Amino acid sequence: MMETDNKQVLSSEELEILQEIMNIAFGKSAADLTDVIDTHVVLNVPFINVMHVAALPDYIRNYVKDYVNISIVEQRFWGRFRGDALLVFSSGSGKELIGMLQHGEGMSLVSDHIEILERETLMEVGNILIGACVGKVAELLKDIVTYTPPVIVLERHYEDAFSENDFAPDQTAIVLKTDFNFSEGNISGFLFLVTSNDSIQWLKDALQIFIEQYE
Amino acid sequence: MILQQIFDAINLGLVILDRDLKIQEWNRWMEVHSGIEADKIKNSSIFDTFPHLNNPKFTRSCKSVFTFGNFCFFSQKLHHYLFPFKTKSLSEINFEYMQQSCAMGPLRDENNNIKYLFIYVQDMTEVAIYEHKLVEINMRDGLTGIYNRRFLEIKLKDEFNRYKRYGGVFSIIMFDIDYFKKVNDTYGHQCGDFILKSVSSRASSLIRNVDYLARYGGEEFCCVLPETGIHAALAVAERFRTAILQQENNFDNNVIKVTISLGVAEFQKDMESDSTLLKKADEALYKAKKEGRNMVVVMQ
Repeated sequence: MMETDNKQVLSSEELEILQEIMNIAFGKSAADLTDVIDTHVVLNVPFINVMHVAALPDYIRNYVKDYVNISIVEQRFWGRFRGDALLVFSSGSGKELIGMLQHGEGMSLVSDHIEILERETLMEVGNILIGACVGKVAELLKDIVTYTPPVIVLERHYEDAFSENDFAPDQTAIVLKTDFNFSEGNISGFLFLVTSNDSIQWLKDALQIFIEQYE
Repeated sequence: MILQQIFDAINLGLVILDRDLKIQEWNRWMEVHSGIEADKIKNSSIFDTFPHLNNPKFTRSCKSVFTFGNFCFFSQKLHHYLFPFKTKSLSEINFEYMQQSCAMGPLRDENNNIKYLFIYVQDMTEVAIYEHKLVEINMRDGLTGIYNRRFLEIKLKDEFNRYKRYGGVFSIIMFDIDYFKKVNDTYGHQCGDFILKSVSSRASSLIRNVDYLARYGGEEFCCVLPETGIHAALAVAERFRTAILQQENNFDNNVIKVTISLGVAEFQKDMESDSTLLKKADEALYKAKKEGRNMVVVMQ
């Protein structure tokens, strides 16, 4: 089933090129990220899958279920390359990040403030991580993207964190999955880039142009 | 030409910085609110005029704009403002500085290289005031102005969990106006309201900033006393009792005096939950009522 879908949307050659672009992009992002947030982020080799949007929630749940509780930062990106970026953090990541990034600045830690701080910190880091990964892919494909402000779902059980209604049905999406962890602290998670249907034709063309540079 | 007019006419602050974070553009809105003319500030580093922006979050954001072409967001909730602009006092809730929601993003040249970053600044003061009011309404009792039961329950739970984790002492006082129904029946409900206000304001004047006094129910009140052992709490309760006893309430040419009954309980480490503590104080209050009113009973 997955095999047929892959063939329909991207040829095996196109998939290979895309995989290569991802490898380059994520490698570069990781290096630049260290510079921006002062801590080393390990971004593992991304995995590309083509699937029906309806299958997406279960696909994501399957990866994140070991975390039990998760926080999700979601951002849409708009260029010719467009779609949804979902960054899933393990439970407790927000609080760890506060310690790493705030450096004593910020507000007193009253309980309701901690939650605000946690949200904002996750959104900030999520925004940087998503931008780094999406931006690099777009750059390699000679595209420029803009972003909507991040939205966040904080510390929810993984089964309740996604709804089938969050994604348009009857669409096929190219899903790029990577997992990451920070060298400092106990922070890890997954990044899912869900490319929208509208950009698939553009993506096929852009992949072709990309490979022609080397032929 | 046309875009320049929009740049100056728009009701948003717009600032453009180059890669050295020197100000390249400063729109009319920024001129108006900062009192600094564009010509005076252009080509200077943003840190010259706004040294507080030289902090990790701001510099990290600038880096991520120039490195990744990211957009970065500075919410009013966490950051309050990027640019400290004085506000005109719009209402009784006064923010020292305009509350701002800001964002920054990349600007590219014709070769797609990121040359500048833009910052936009949106005035959120009115929204923040509105939110502040809603939060206040949500935690205050409408009649007396002291905290309401919902807020008390949240705070009590917080305190309870904190003491359970870290140890220490804290106590609560429950009290109730004696024969309150008689006041209502004799002088009318308006007078009853007047007495409720007068009792709560007298009691408020006797507690510390760290204590919470709340209207718990009709004529019942609860006071949370952090870092307070049972003896000190008993002394506070006794102060409440004598102050209310001595207070003369003048309503409609009548001088009305009331008394209160009080129950005091101290947090114990083996208590299961905050409601156990409330129940203890309530039992003490019940005992005070039963044994003649106008007295303090401690539940050991």
